Amino acid sequence: MSLINDLFKDTRVVIYAAAVVLAIIFIAVFGLKFGLDLEGGSYLQLQLQGAVAQVDVTPEKILEVQFGASTVEKHGDTYVVTVPGKLDPTLADDLGYSGAKTVEQGNATKVTVVASSETVITNYLKKNLDADVKIVAVAPIKYEIRTNVTRESLNALLAPVNGSVPVGEDTFVQGVTPDTVDETKKVLDSKLNRLGLQDIKVRIVDNKFILIDLAGMDVATAQDVVGKPGKFEIRIETENNNSVHVLYGDAVESVEIPQGDRQGGWGVPFTLSEEGAKVFQKAAIDAGATKNPDAHDISMYLDKDEIFSAPLAAELAGSLDKVPVRSMEARVGSGDAGSAKAKELYIHLREGALPVNVEIVGSGQVSAALGAQFKIQMVIAGLIALLAVAGMIYYRYREKRIVLPMVTTSLSEVVMMLGIWAVAGWQLDLASLAGIIMVIGTGVDQLVIITDELMRGGEATAAADRSIKERAAAAADKAGTKVAATTSKVYLTRLSRAFTIILGAAATTAVAMLPLLYMGFGALTGFALIIILGVILGTLIARPAYGRIIGHILGS
Amino acid sequence: MELEDIVSKYPPKQIMLIPIAIIVLALISLGATYLSTGSPVHLGIEFTGGTLVTVPATGTEDAAKAQFANYPLVDVRDIGSRYMLQFGPMSDSSYAELAKQVNAEYDGAEIRHMGPIYSKELQAQVMRYLPISFLLMALVVFIVFREPMVSLLVVVSALADILTAAASMNITGVQLSLGTVAALLMLIGYSVDTDILLSMRVLKRKGSVEEKIIGAMGTGLMMSGTTIAAVISLILVSNFLYLIIPSFTRMDIIADMSTVLIFGLAADIFNTWVTNAQGLRWYLNRPGKTVRGQRR
Repeated sequence: MSLINDLFKDTRVVIYAAAVVLAIIFIAVFGLKFGLDLEGGSYLQLQLQGAVAQVDVTPEKILEVQFGASTVEKHGDTYVVTVPGKLDPTLADDLGYSGAKTVEQGNATKVTVVASSETVITNYLKKNLDADVKIVAVAPIKYEIRTNVTRESLNALLAPVNGSVPVGEDTFVQGVTPDTVDETKKVLDSKLNRLGLQDIKVRIVDNKFILIDLAGMDVATAQDVVGKPGKFEIRIETENNNSVHVLYGDAVESVEIPQGDRQGGWGVPFTLSEEGAKVFQKAAIDAGATKNPDAHDISMYLDKDEIFSAPLAAELAGSLDKVPVRSMEARVGSGDAGSAKAKELYIHLREGALPVNVEIVGSGQVSAALGAQFKIQMVIAGLIALLAVAGMIYYRYREKRIVLPMVTTSLSEVVMMLGIWAVAGWQLDLASLAGIIMVIGTGVDQLVIITDELMRGGEATAAADRSIKERAAAAADKAGTKVAATTSKVYLTRLSRAFTIILGAAATTAVAMLPLLYMGFGALTGFALIIILGVILGTLIARPAYGRIIGHILGS
Repeated sequence: MELEDIVSKYPPKQIMLIPIAIIVLALISLGATYLSTGSPVHLGIEFTGGTLVTVPATGTEDAAKAQFANYPLVDVRDIGSRYMLQFGPMSDSSYAELAKQVNAEYDGAEIRHMGPIYSKELQAQVMRYLPISFLLMALVVFIVFREPMVSLLVVVSALADILTAAASMNITGVQLSLGTVAALLMLIGYSVDTDILLSMRVLKRKGSVEEKIIGAMGTGLMMSGTTIAAVISLILVSNFLYLIIPSFTRMDIIADMSTVLIFGLAADIFNTWVTNAQGLRWYLNRPGKTVRGQRR
């Protein structure tokens, strides 16, 4: 077997053989994962609604309108709002200024609000849009509004306070920031994992769509599961480690983004409904938590798992003894650990409501039986394709020694690709399988280019003049003696010419498929990836080795 | 071989009239469809929005129709032991009801729902990404050849392939779907492969342009042949196998994809060996121009 020995001295052939063996090991060890349309299950495609906008408005005017004030003065980072007559005591709390101090002076009321101008604007937007608003950029300050707004609706909202969105392309951009997309994904991940569902895939596409695959579930159930909040409960400790129910999640009106304070402590602020605040106050007083907070921890549960437990803060206990409190904060600790814990708790608290409003833009289901049938059909298609391609090669070259290496190379490219899919844990869906079949058809093209370039040599000859065998022999003659075949200069020139064509062809195919990675809500990502990787693997690993092997075969 | 005669014997300017006529016809077809529907090809359900349901065929088509009479049913088709029901756009709540009813009444139903945002976004994506794909391809071609005229001929041939493939969709009634868009993108990248082979051979080898074109043709036709063989196997299995083996089912996305590919590949054979090859003959054989390897 001198042919084999010669070949294995060539690094290209060795790399190629190693790649194929490695791919087979990967497939055997990791196994192949199939997509939803082959395994059965349902999918949901969600769009995140929101916008990032700049706002032109004076905070004084906002406070004036909101409080119905006669004057608003700014002193450092506090605003002093003077309101004629008496003021509804819950108004400041309601508008988001829970620490506001209210002092009655004759027939006017003075409210002192500690807030920066951005906080005033954020609070105004939050209150009027009933959604989260977050500052995502400074200079110029940009607000992320996490609900469905348009430039027009935002302008209409700001009109009563003499505000507007500045004119310009980038002052209002639909969509949310990547961080927010990621956060939404985490909430969904956490929630679906909590439900104990197997094989859930939550993916982000194009930074504004979230795709959820739920194996073995029909689409009506899937919509319920994703749309339904986790069961959130607040309980309070009574005596001897017993606890009683206080509130369910419906009493929590909103949850804010975790905040760190000046001492490095972290907490998650949340707001109770008016009714909820009253129930909470009564429960705290009844349990004795307002008098002796440390003996009566407040605990939060999500689907029966405890996610938070701590005593009432002394200050809060004091207030609760007198009035219901709506804005609270669950404090979790300080430093990096505190920050991480706050984020986790935030996600848990949010599981009722996603950080951003989402809209289901598409959904569907495939039954497992139908998926299994599609799989069989695609395997049949693959076999037919391979046979048809082999038949065409035989029809043209009429040489077993050429047909066999070609079909084997083409098949090994498929094996290498499946190896990558196995080790990466990517799913093969219907479109990816079609991509593999296309790679069988197009991959052989490049082998044909190499073979023809090597056999035909320098001159273009009329095709029908000589038989392939004669030409093969002639090519072998020109390529030099048997032993030196693979190093002969003519051979190498031809090979490099073949590779110029192949590289050009491979590059056009790959770049044209690039947009597909971002299109169609991920439905065609597999198809595009298989074709692009097929082209790259084939060009870098399989074809150089094939060039050597076929050179040896033609030479001997 | 007749194609070889056409390619090498007749004057290139006369032959070029054929591809020009075909491109004009394709543009007329696309233009006429644009005037009547507002887009150059007929848009499938993914682009218009709606719901597709396939269920095992247990009763008659009329029975299935009656079952879902409460919903905006557009069409019912037999796709091999299953019925495909196509619904127009409906509200989220009636879709949820429909999904529940389908699952209650049938085992193994397949459902695909495309809301208005989905279809609008998809249209925007195609408008944005199809030209990007084409430009990227053209850029690679210009980098590979670094000869404006030769590169231009390759790109024009590719454009002719895409136009012909799109026009043939109108003629055969294939609608634009995710699968057909993938096929069009694949055609953009793949259809230039034979053009690159042809131009490379003609530029880099010795001999007359005609001989080199015929030499390249053997390789090029083989390339198209193997790809067409793979596409035909996809067409057979996705589109026709269920007619022979009743338990199999039509696979829409594969059927759409392969239909467009086969038209595009056929157009590519013509455009490579007629449009591009004649262009090269005309350009390289111009009087007074010395060209590498020219014999005449």
